[in-house]
Amino acid sequence: MTEQACRECHRIVEGVVCPTCGSSSLSKDWSGYVVIIDPKRSMVAEKLGITLPGRYALKVR
Amino acid sequence: MSDTSIYVVKTTANQERSVANLIAQIARKDGYDIRSLLVPDVLKGYVLVESPAPEIIEQAIQGIPHARTVIKGSSTFDEVEHFLTPRPAVVGIDEGAIVELISGPFKGEMARVKRVDAAKEEITVELFEAMVPIPVTVRADHVRVLSKDEVQR
Repeated sequence: MTEQACRECHRIVEGVVCPTCGSSSLSKDWSGYVVIIDPKRSMVAEKLGITLPGRYALKVR
Repeated sequence: MSDTSIYVVKTTANQERSVANLIAQIARKDGYDIRSLLVPDVLKGYVLVESPAPEIIEQAIQGIPHARTVIKGSSTFDEVEHFLTPRPAVVGIDEGAIVELISGPFKGEMARVKRVDAAKEEITVELFEAMVPIPVTVRADHVRVLSKDEVQR
């Protein structure tokens, strides 16, 4: 199954509901990929406003 | 925060995401100080890694398939910041422009742009080859701009 991204928090999720925000608005049409390992010390996470480690999409349609 | 730099890892084309996943997995398992990995679609064959030192990344990519080398030198966060805000697909497409459709059922057809919907990132075009002018709405990233000619509307 192709991976889907949450339209709300941009997280890449497996399944039908985003485990972070509980949204079921998912999209298969996403681009750009970010893996946040240490959100507290990462400048990328700070810029994107990400507080939880995980995989994210940069753009979700 | 400012103790990190962005380093670039060269990978096999189209394997950027799998390389990023493997680097993240190894960083978590072995405790390497890698804070984030960035794979912009526009940068084919490269993964951007946020870390305090290139030696850490060099160690982490040892044995990872499709990861080649760490490119010498580092970038500042400001230099890669623009990758974090992808520009809308409709940028550079204006009404009246001549475009070529690059995917979908009309692939290879030429068309003139009639309308641009920036919010949906869609454009409405009229195909040159069509007998009667039928407006066709396609995604803005499915076309290539050939000419920005706006005069012959």
